[in-house]
Amino acid sequence: MPEAAERVGVAARVTGARPAPADKGWWDRLRWFTTSQPLGAAGALIVLLLIVTAVLAPALAPHGPKDAAFAPYLAPGAEFPMGTDHLGRDILSRVIWGARLSLYVGLTSVLFGITLGALWGIVTAYYGGAADSASQRVADSLMALPPIILALALMAALGQSVTNVIIALTILLIPTAARTLRSVTLSIKEMPYIEAARAAGTSEWRVIFWHVVPNCLSTYIVLFTVNIAYAIVVEAALAFLGLGAPPDEPSWGGMLTAGTQALETAPWMIFFPGLAISLTVFGLNLLGDAIRDLTDPRLRGGLG
Amino acid sequence: MTAREEIPLMRSVLSLMIAILTSLGLASGASAQEKPRPGGVLNWYVYGDPGRLDIHLESPLSVQQVLAGVYSGLLHRDPDDPTKITGDLAERWTVSPDGKVYTFHLRRGVKWHDGQPFTSADVKATLDRVLNPATKSPRCGSMLKPIVASAEAVDPLTVQVALKFPAAPFLEYTASAWCAIAAKHVLEKFGDLSKPEAQIGTGPFKFKRYERGSVIEWEKNKDYFRPGLPYLDGVKQFVLVGFPTQLAAAKAGRVMLWDTWPPMKKTDADELQRARGNEVEIGQNSINTIFLAYMHTQKPPFDNPDLRRAVHLALDRQEIVAKALEGAGIPCAVLDPKLAGEFALPLEEVNKLPGCRQPKDQDIAEAKRLVEKHYPNGVDVEAAVRSVGNYVDRAQLVLSQLRKIGIRGTIKTYESAAGFAVFGKGDFVFLPTQDRAMVTVDPGDLFSLVYTTDAGSNWGKWTDKKVDELTDRGLRETNREKRKQIYWELQRYLLSGAPSAVPVAWVEGYHFVDKRVRGYKFAPTVYDNNTFMKVWLAQ
Repeated sequence: MPEAAERVGVAARVTGARPAPADKGWWDRLRWFTTSQPLGAAGALIVLLLIVTAVLAPALAPHGPKDAAFAPYLAPGAEFPMGTDHLGRDILSRVIWGARLSLYVGLTSVLFGITLGALWGIVTAYYGGAADSASQRVADSLMALPPIILALALMAALGQSVTNVIIALTILLIPTAARTLRSVTLSIKEMPYIEAARAAGTSEWRVIFWHVVPNCLSTYIVLFTVNIAYAIVVEAALAFLGLGAPPDEPSWGGMLTAGTQALETAPWMIFFPGLAISLTVFGLNLLGDAIRDLTDPRLRGGLG
Repeated sequence: MTAREEIPLMRSVLSLMIAILTSLGLASGASAQEKPRPGGVLNWYVYGDPGRLDIHLESPLSVQQVLAGVYSGLLHRDPDDPTKITGDLAERWTVSPDGKVYTFHLRRGVKWHDGQPFTSADVKATLDRVLNPATKSPRCGSMLKPIVASAEAVDPLTVQVALKFPAAPFLEYTASAWCAIAAKHVLEKFGDLSKPEAQIGTGPFKFKRYERGSVIEWEKNKDYFRPGLPYLDGVKQFVLVGFPTQLAAAKAGRVMLWDTWPPMKKTDADELQRARGNEVEIGQNSINTIFLAYMHTQKPPFDNPDLRRAVHLALDRQEIVAKALEGAGIPCAVLDPKLAGEFALPLEEVNKLPGCRQPKDQDIAEAKRLVEKHYPNGVDVEAAVRSVGNYVDRAQLVLSQLRKIGIRGTIKTYESAAGFAVFGKGDFVFLPTQDRAMVTVDPGDLFSLVYTTDAGSNWGKWTDKKVDELTDRGLRETNREKRKQIYWELQRYLLSGAPSAVPVAWVEGYHFVDKRVRGYKFAPTVYDNNTFMKVWLAQ
């Protein structure tokens, strides 16, 4: 996109940072990203590892995540690098399969939650009036409840299943996205190009989806990235509290719960899933920050 | 040998058990020199919220435990020697020469907690209630219905109970904490005993407070019919659901006693000992509880006996006991030899039977064949589990083993009381783990409680004429040797067939008593001797 590169170039001239090599190949772009956003690159690497682990879980895991076929409480060693849990299951295999569950829950709930929230915010902000005001009160009501309490209540009402975790997280994420995208839309809809489109007789829906939505995309992407980490943490918290995925599903939060029963005898039971959660959230946050920096006109290219 | 001769023998087995417990330091008795000190509040815990409080209509330990000190029975286990049965509201009793009529003479001057006088009409109202075919009384009713014909109030202080036949365990059953005597006027006023305000008994403590999910509190009954008792001003039972919370409370000294379900495992007991040192006495004992896996016999896939048989064959009880109970259990036994003595099928025989023997290869291959015969691609089942104790862990182990034969289970968890409600209605397919504690030490208890058509815990709706007939014969038989043969036949039949409830193991575990707690004696079942009427706290 030459226009985008031009814009980046302008911003870079203002801040004195190196512009993105728009006309180079992917390798040069990667090098530019790595040098200008080293923390973001580290985050991206962690996220990439997470994705690879999740996708290749059946091939990577040395044992079945639910196979209680070994001696319990084996300390980490050559045969079981992360040890075994209280039922004699390989913790490494469960951590690997847990990545799949975490990523699936994180991505799906954020995809639905942020997308639905964004559409809600954009449409109501564009039309404004009583509908906008009413919808904001609904968002206020949802946001007034502490997120984990709301999620717990939803899980208690819906029952324990991975699908219901996704539904609960989606409901949790919708108002945040709606509120953020509403504010972006309120400024976009005052722009001259929107006025010009409307003056040219473009239909309202076409204006929304061809002119407003594309201009909200950078905010959407940042929200999307940052909230995956949030969704993963809430999923783990729900599982820890016994209201997440069913207990036999290998989830990191559920593994933490099991580990609390053997803190003194088998600390590795909480160490490795805890490490997995921390690393994932760390990686996603670093990547999210980098994307925010790159898409924020005030910071674009200047904070590498 | 007659049935009445059995009781002393059973007592001797129990006396031995209690002696072992005492030698382990488990039974906390006051020494002869110590004078009981009145006052103080004893804190302990209950593993789940009891929900509905009707002692006659419910079956979870949580219900019995939170009501134990509120009610009295006609008989009870002697607080000083829980192996013995003595009078509670009944001062004495006589038996007709044919062994079919028991006459109970009641104490004078006993008052209900609301001040009303206690009379034989209350005993009759209670017995009529639990014996009424319309009343589904899973514990007391389940025990008494097969043997009791009727109860009559002869005069205000005399009750006569007529049996259908001379039944060996009648006194044991009557002494059960589940056969608590309720007030006629309370039953008439409230309709049932579910609500906290209906908890009006004659016991040493009054039901003071029930904060759902939080605490149940008793206060001293100053008009208790045993002068000078109880010593304690009150008892608080905190609802502690998660095992880590229970253990943390014990380590912090917030819980002064652990003689309840679930028992601690070895690693937990070690952790507690490290934390509390000499302040607590810890020991291992049986809790007269069997770990079962239930299948619903009227719902697919377990309406098919082959599938039930496959589950029996595939379960590796030795692995389950080793991992989930850390070795503290008797795998595969239908009756525990430590508790039922010679009535239990010898373990040497049990451990050679298909499903119980090691190694498992042959049995797993046969189980797989049975599943494939009906479900070539395997079958998915929902496994209902109450989130109490380590049930979820146990369920995961069971499902891990069943996956090898093509039965793929997904766990659905229930809060304790909600789970019981669902199981009672039969709204389940598979319960991979559910403990059932025995109400007495009689060997026939298990069969009347779980396996007969009318059993209170026959949740899987299993009907087997042979089991019904053998159980009935076992109750009627007064010759010890013949009775033993009946129960052996029953055990062999269950282990070689396809019952709804598969025996996994008899559960044992670790318990503790804070050394400040005096006068507490461990009883043969978890339901007995938890009224705390003679317990006191040292400074």
